[in-house]
Amino acid sequence: MNAAVHADGLVKTFGQTKALDGLDLTVKTGEVHGFLGPNGAGKTTTIRILLGQMRADGGRIALLGGDPWHEATELHRRLAYVPGDVTLWPSLTGGEVIDLLGRVRGGLNPRRRAELLERFELDPRKKCRIYSKGNRQKVALVAAFASDVELLVLDEPTSGLDPLMEAVFNECVLQEKREGRTVLLSSHILSEVETLCDRVSIIRAGRSVESGSLADLRHLARTSVTAELIGPAPGLAVLPGVYDLTMDGARLRCQVDGDALTAVLAELARAGVRTLTTQPPTLEELFLRHYEGAAR
Amino acid sequence: MTGTWALIRLIVRRDRVLLPVWIAITALLPAGIASTTTDLYADQAARDSFATVSASNPAQLAMRGPIYDASVGGLTAWTLGSSLALIGGLISILLVIRHTRVEEETGRRELLGSGVIGRHAPLATALAVVLAANLLLGLLSVPALVAGGLPAGSSLLFGLSTAAGGWVFAAVAAVAAQLTASSGTARGLAIGAGGLLFALRALADAGGIGWLAWLSPFGWVRLTKPYAGDRWWVLGLIAVFVAALAAAAFALSTRRDVAGGLLPARPGPTTGTLSGSFGLAARLHRGTLAGFAIGFGLMGVLLGVAARGLDAQVDTPQFRELAATIGGTDARISDVFFTFVMYVLSQLVAGAALVSALRARGEEAAGRAELLLSTPVGRLRWALSHLVFAILSPLLLLAVLGAAAGLAYDGDVARVTGATLAYLPAVWTVVGIAMLLFGMLPRLAAAVSWTMLGLFLVVDLLAEFKLASGIVLDLSPFVHVPAMLLRGASSPVAPLLELTVAAVTLATAGLAFLRRRDLMPSA
Repeated sequence: MNAAVHADGLVKTFGQTKALDGLDLTVKTGEVHGFLGPNGAGKTTTIRILLGQMRADGGRIALLGGDPWHEATELHRRLAYVPGDVTLWPSLTGGEVIDLLGRVRGGLNPRRRAELLERFELDPRKKCRIYSKGNRQKVALVAAFASDVELLVLDEPTSGLDPLMEAVFNECVLQEKREGRTVLLSSHILSEVETLCDRVSIIRAGRSVESGSLADLRHLARTSVTAELIGPAPGLAVLPGVYDLTMDGARLRCQVDGDALTAVLAELARAGVRTLTTQPPTLEELFLRHYEGAAR
Repeated sequence: MTGTWALIRLIVRRDRVLLPVWIAITALLPAGIASTTTDLYADQAARDSFATVSASNPAQLAMRGPIYDASVGGLTAWTLGSSLALIGGLISILLVIRHTRVEEETGRRELLGSGVIGRHAPLATALAVVLAANLLLGLLSVPALVAGGLPAGSSLLFGLSTAAGGWVFAAVAAVAAQLTASSGTARGLAIGAGGLLFALRALADAGGIGWLAWLSPFGWVRLTKPYAGDRWWVLGLIAVFVAALAAAAFALSTRRDVAGGLLPARPGPTTGTLSGSFGLAARLHRGTLAGFAIGFGLMGVLLGVAARGLDAQVDTPQFRELAATIGGTDARISDVFFTFVMYVLSQLVAGAALVSALRARGEEAAGRAELLLSTPVGRLRWALSHLVFAILSPLLLLAVLGAAAGLAYDGDVARVTGATLAYLPAVWTVVGIAMLLFGMLPRLAAAVSWTMLGLFLVVDLLAEFKLASGIVLDLSPFVHVPAMLLRGASSPVAPLLELTVAAVTLATAGLAFLRRRDLMPSA
């Protein structure tokens, strides 16, 4: 078993609402895996099931080769978690919380702790009640990064951080990866996932929509083509795999499926091309396409 | 004050069940008591003799104060005056804290504050709603009293006095909410102040130090003397006091930041020594527990002092007869007094124990349990670290109460402490019920547990006036505790053992449910 997380057909209902509706998720050991979805897609519910805090109504789930519900305590020795909305004990200082979390996880590396505090510019002497959301997040992040664990589960970890701190966070994640740790990173910030993740899973309304490396996903997505033509290209409109075709004088724009590109280029060549721009899809476009598709 | 109206609607929406239920019950009680008083004591002679007996019972004096007039109205005002102030005060405190400090602590205030809402609006609206609710229940009680044949003017004064009791504690809570950043501490401060003020009034009336009653709002709500001379001006005194406290609360709130307390936050330690869920729980419970211990210690001293003089002061055949009826021949009148008072105080101790018992749920609701339980700390271990404090806190508080009262009373600490500790299994049963709710119905656990404790208090009152049958009364675990100070008390072992077994069973079931259910943060 070389998957850190393997979920298969997870179902979870809250009353009338189906939070998870057959969700699949596989995180390979040693990879940084992006877990993408809009708010309310079921990311946090999935993570809570992974952590044994909720029990799935259906489907199978394995965490680090074990059952997250029955073996929670043992499995938790091997992971660290940063919640999306970090709430801390108002009367404790940040330093106290970091040490508490570190101790219950089996010890912190004090040098790493000091280094992280400095890099995140966090004052550990302040009481948690006066920390901002970003600072509370930093407390949980420092405690997680300074622990010696196999798996990091991070739920929208940068939602309260400023861009400078986001860069520090990115460095930390890449360092974890170099040290061979697995990271599950849930997010709706696509640029973050793009720079950090080896593979991503996209979910929507409790279902997995897409999973694979960014290259795989791009392959599935449409390339946008802009060209200035010399002559007319009447064949384009009827080609399969061509969408949103517009002609503005000699200027042509369209979206093209990956496997239709050859045919499109042949058609363009026949008409004669003055300029040609093709753009790979951004993750935003991937995202939008999946949601539009499902909304229809 | 922009946004006030929207906030008022928010509060009313959130408490759309609690407010009407509380208002309806409190508004109906006076007419109910008046009508039973009429039924039970048909003529003036019967009422006079009842009044003479009651006025000779120091426990009654401590709980309710003196009877100013033995008419139906006078007896109704005497029966309910203190109790309604106690109930209305408690609910007002809980409501004001819930809509001020809790909102800040959870960050919801920040969300609203970023909208178009004036700086003072949250405090102003919370106070406005609670004051209006108290006024409404006071006014609503009047028509039924008048329909029952009581004078309209006095009935209105009685209704307003009831409202005034709630007003005072709403204002007390408004100040407490500014002083500390933690809602638990704010609640504790306000309830503690209420407890001490009640004890002060009890000392005044049972100890025969009449002027002391003027120092307590529980004295004021009786000193308006409805149906016994109608001193309207006392209402003015209360209004001035409420206005002063409210002004202080607003002044304090302008001096602090949102979510901050008045006390400046000093930098704390860089590193921590907490090594697990138990250490964390100890840290979270210790402040509240110390506060409660001081409060109950002071209350014990007050009671001991009040009881000390009783035997010599009131050694008449009438008293001895009363003591004998309740406690058997040779019972000391002061022991009878203690027995009554302890019965009520044990329920306050149960309130303190509930604070500890419900803290685990508070941690879960706030989302802090989610973080801790993502570590190797298991659920059972986490719940037990908090439960230990719910088990030990009533032991400590009952012991402190008994020891302080015993020292101040006759020096026989062991005897009085034994009597207070007899209530431990009953308090544990309340803790057990809270644990069962925490396991089964976490979202309702706090509301249901507190309502249950409130009902135990109300049931006592109803049973005393024969508005509820003995079977209903038997539902309260406190009824089953033997009165250890009185001779002729049945063997203490069996009922105490039964209650302990019930408590352990309930708590165990609660923990079993907790292990099987999903974690439920409130967000």
